[in-house]
Amino acid sequence: MATATTPAAQARVARLERIWKEPPGLVGWLTTTDHKRIGILYLFASLALFGAGGVEALLVRTQLAAPDQHVLGPEAYNQVFTMHGVTMIFLFVIPISTGAFGNYLLPLMIGARDMAFPRMNALSFWIFASSGVFMYAGLALGHGPDAGWFDYVPLASKQYSPDSGIDFYALGLIFNGIATTATAINFIVTIFKMRAPGMSLNRMPLFCYAFLAVSFALVFALPVLTLALVFLELDRRLGFHFYDAAQGGDPLLWQHLFWIFGHPEVYIIILPAFGIATSIIPTFVRRRMVAFPLVALAEILVAFIGFGVWVHHMFAVGLPTVTTIYFAAASLIIVIPSAIQLFAWITTIITGQPSFQTPLLWIIGFIIYFIIGGLTGIMFAAIPFDQQVTDTYFVVAHFHFVIFGAAVFPILGGLYYWFPKVTGRMYHERWGKASFWITFVGTFVTFFPMHILGLLGMPRRIYTYHRGLGWGTLNLMETIGSYFLALGLLIVAVNLGVSAFRGRRVGGDPWGGDTLEWATTSPPPAYNYAVIPTVSSAYAMWDTDDRATDAANLDRGERVLEQGHRTPASTALDADWDEVLDMPSGSWAPLLLALALAGVFVMLLLGHWVIACGFGALVGLVLLAWHSAEPQAG
Amino acid sequence: MSGPSDAARGAQATARSAVARTAQRRIALPNGIWGVALFAAGEATVFGALTASYFYLRFRATVWPPPGITAPDVLLPLALTGALVATTVPIFRAARAQRTRMAWGMIALAVLVQGGYLAVQVILFKRDLADFSPKDTSYGSIYFTLLAIHHAHVLLGILLEVSVLGRLLGGLTTYRVVAVRVVALYWYFVNAAAIVVVLTQVSPSL
Repeated sequence: MATATTPAAQARVARLERIWKEPPGLVGWLTTTDHKRIGILYLFASLALFGAGGVEALLVRTQLAAPDQHVLGPEAYNQVFTMHGVTMIFLFVIPISTGAFGNYLLPLMIGARDMAFPRMNALSFWIFASSGVFMYAGLALGHGPDAGWFDYVPLASKQYSPDSGIDFYALGLIFNGIATTATAINFIVTIFKMRAPGMSLNRMPLFCYAFLAVSFALVFALPVLTLALVFLELDRRLGFHFYDAAQGGDPLLWQHLFWIFGHPEVYIIILPAFGIATSIIPTFVRRRMVAFPLVALAEILVAFIGFGVWVHHMFAVGLPTVTTIYFAAASLIIVIPSAIQLFAWITTIITGQPSFQTPLLWIIGFIIYFIIGGLTGIMFAAIPFDQQVTDTYFVVAHFHFVIFGAAVFPILGGLYYWFPKVTGRMYHERWGKASFWITFVGTFVTFFPMHILGLLGMPRRIYTYHRGLGWGTLNLMETIGSYFLALGLLIVAVNLGVSAFRGRRVGGDPWGGDTLEWATTSPPPAYNYAVIPTVSSAYAMWDTDDRATDAANLDRGERVLEQGHRTPASTALDADWDEVLDMPSGSWAPLLLALALAGVFVMLLLGHWVIACGFGALVGLVLLAWHSAEPQAG
Repeated sequence: MSGPSDAARGAQATARSAVARTAQRRIALPNGIWGVALFAAGEATVFGALTASYFYLRFRATVWPPPGITAPDVLLPLALTGALVATTVPIFRAARAQRTRMAWGMIALAVLVQGGYLAVQVILFKRDLADFSPKDTSYGSIYFTLLAIHHAHVLLGILLEVSVLGRLLGGLTTYRVVAVRVVALYWYFVNAAAIVVVLTQVSPSL
C-alpha cells in the first residue's frame, strides 16, 4: 500500500486511524459497522452452522451405511435431512458467500472505505444470526422441520404436519429473508455508487459482477419465497386455503412459488463461486482472464435466465406437455452462458503459467465437479429422463456435485486465498494441498455412487432400505467417502486455525494478486485505504503506475479525506467523483432492532399476536433512535 | 472516467462548505434513492406474485367468486384508489420543494388524504369480513391477503411521512431533501401498486 514517508503524510494516516477507530473489545464487535468485522462475524457464524449441517450430513450417511439400520428413527431422520438442506443453503452457502466473502472483499475490491449502508449491513448480520438460532431452537426442542428443504404441501400442511417444525421453518426463513434482502440491496448500491472514482464499470473486477448478479437475483427471487411462506403460515395457523384443494386452493401453487424462488436460488448459490474462481485464476496463472466482457455478461445472464426455468423442477407433476417443453428448452439455454465461463476459465489456465498452489487446486477441483454436475444437469432437460429419475438419488448426486463440488470448493479455495489478507499470516501449504486432495477424493467417493443408486431406483429421503435391494455396498462406499470428506474439511479448519496464530507473517500482497484488496496492508486498516486508489483497469494491482500515484497522492494529501469518517461516492457507470459521504460509525441500533424483530417472530411462532405487535412497536422505536442523528452538512 | 476536473472536485470537497457545495452539484442519484428503488423493486415482486397467485387460483376455479359470495363492488374501490393515486401530485411537489413550508404542507396534505383512504379501507375490510371469511374458500384467502398486504404498505408509507414531517420541523436541509425524495419514491410505487391491486380486486365484476 501507499506508505506514508513524509511527516505530513504520517499525520494524515494517524488522523485516519483516530477517526475510524472502533471501541475495543466486545462492545466494538456488537456495535461495529465495519464491513470487514461484519464479514468476519458472518464467517464464523456461517462456519458454525456449516459444522452443524455437516454433522447432520454424517448422521444421514451413518444411518444409510448399511440396510435396515436404526441409528436414527424415521422422525429424527426426516428432521435431520431437512435441517441439513435448510442449513447448507440458507444458513451456510448464502451467508458465507455474500455475508462473509462479499462483505469483506467487495468494498476492498472497489476501493471503498465501507458499504453504502454500513448500519444496515450490521443489521443484516444480526438478523441472520438470530434467524439461525431461531431455526436451530426448533431442532433442539425436538420440533425441527421435517418436510424437506422444499417443504411441499400438502405434506407441510397442518393436517399432515401438525407439529410446529414447519412453523419454525416458515417463520425462520421469512426472518432470514429480511437479512438477505438487505444485504443484496446494500451490495447493489455499493457496487454502483461506491466504486473508487475512476473505476468505471468496465474496470470493475469480475468478482463484483458475480456479486452484482447474485444481488439482483436475490432482490427479485426472495419476495416470492416470502409470500409463499406467508401463504403457508396463513393456511397452517389461521385456517386459510391457499394450498388446500378441497376449498379451491392448489398445492401446485406452492410448488410454482417455491421454484420461482428456488431456481434463481441455485444460481445465487453458485455465482459467488464463479466470482471467487475469476479472482483466484488470474493470480495463479499470471495472466488476465480470457474474454473478460463475455464472462461478465455471462455471469449476469445466468442470473437472468435463471428466472425462466423453474418448471424443470416440476416435470413429474403432470403439467401440460407444452409447458414442460418450453421450460426444457429454456433450461438448455442456460448451458450457453455457463459454458462461456467454463471455457474462459479453462483457456485462461491453459494459456497462462499456472502455479498449482492450494487455492488454484480448489478451483480446478471446482471446474471438474462443475462439469460433472453440469452434464447431469443437462440430462434433466430431457423430460422423459427427468421423470424417470425424479426423487431418486440421481438428483441428489447431481445437486451435490453442483452445490458441494462447484459452489463450496471455491469457497474453501477462497478461504485459503484470502487467509493471508485477513490474518496477515500464511497457511501451511503442504497441509493445504493435503486437505484439497482428501476432500476432492472424498467428494467423488461420496457423491458419484449416488448416480448409480439413483438409476437403480433408490428414492431420496428414505430413512433406510431393505437388504434384498442390493444397495448396501454402494451406500457403504458413500458413507466411507463422507467421513473421508469430513476429514478433509477438518484439516482445512485445523490448518487455518493454527496458521492464524503460528503462520509465517506476510505483507500486503503475498500472491502478486490482481485486484485492489492486495494494495492495502494485511489485515487492512479500518479505513481500508489511506488514499482512495487510482484505477485504470480491472487488474488494478498490476497497474504499478497507479499504485505509485497513490503513494504520491498520500504525500500531497489528495484523495485522502482525513477530515472525517468519509468516503467518496461516484456516478453509477463512469465512476466520476460525485460527492463525499459522511459515513455512520458504530451503533447499537442494528443489534437492538434485530433482537426486537426476533421477538416479533418468536411471538408469532407462539401465537401471541398482541405481544408480537408490541415487539413490532419496539422495532419502530429502535428505528426512530437509529435515525436520531443525521449528518449536519448543509 | 476521472478527468483532472474530477480530481479537483475531490480535493475541494474535503472542507465542510465544499462538501455541501459538492452535494448540491451532485450528478448521480443519492444512495438513499437507490436503496428505496431497489426495496420498491422487491416489494413490486411481492405484488406481482400476489396478483399472479390470485389469477392462478381464479383460473383453476369454475365459479369465481364461489357461490354464496357476492361479486365485489366496483365504484367505491376505484374511487378510493383514485383519491390515493391523486396524492401523487402533492408528494411530487413536496419532493421538488425548495422551502420547508411547502414541503411540510404538501406532505401533510398527502397524509390527510392517505389517512382517510386507509380509514375507509379498514371499514370496508371489516364489512367484507362480516360478509365472507378468508377461512372458507381460497377466494376469501387471496382476497383478504391481497388487500391486507396493500393496506400494510399504505400504513408504512404514512408512518414514513409522519416521521419526515417531524424531522422537517427542524427545517429543510440537503440531507432531509433526500429523505423527502426517498419517501416520495416509495409512494409512487405504492400508488402504482394500488392500481394493480384494485383492478385485481374488482376483476370478477368487470
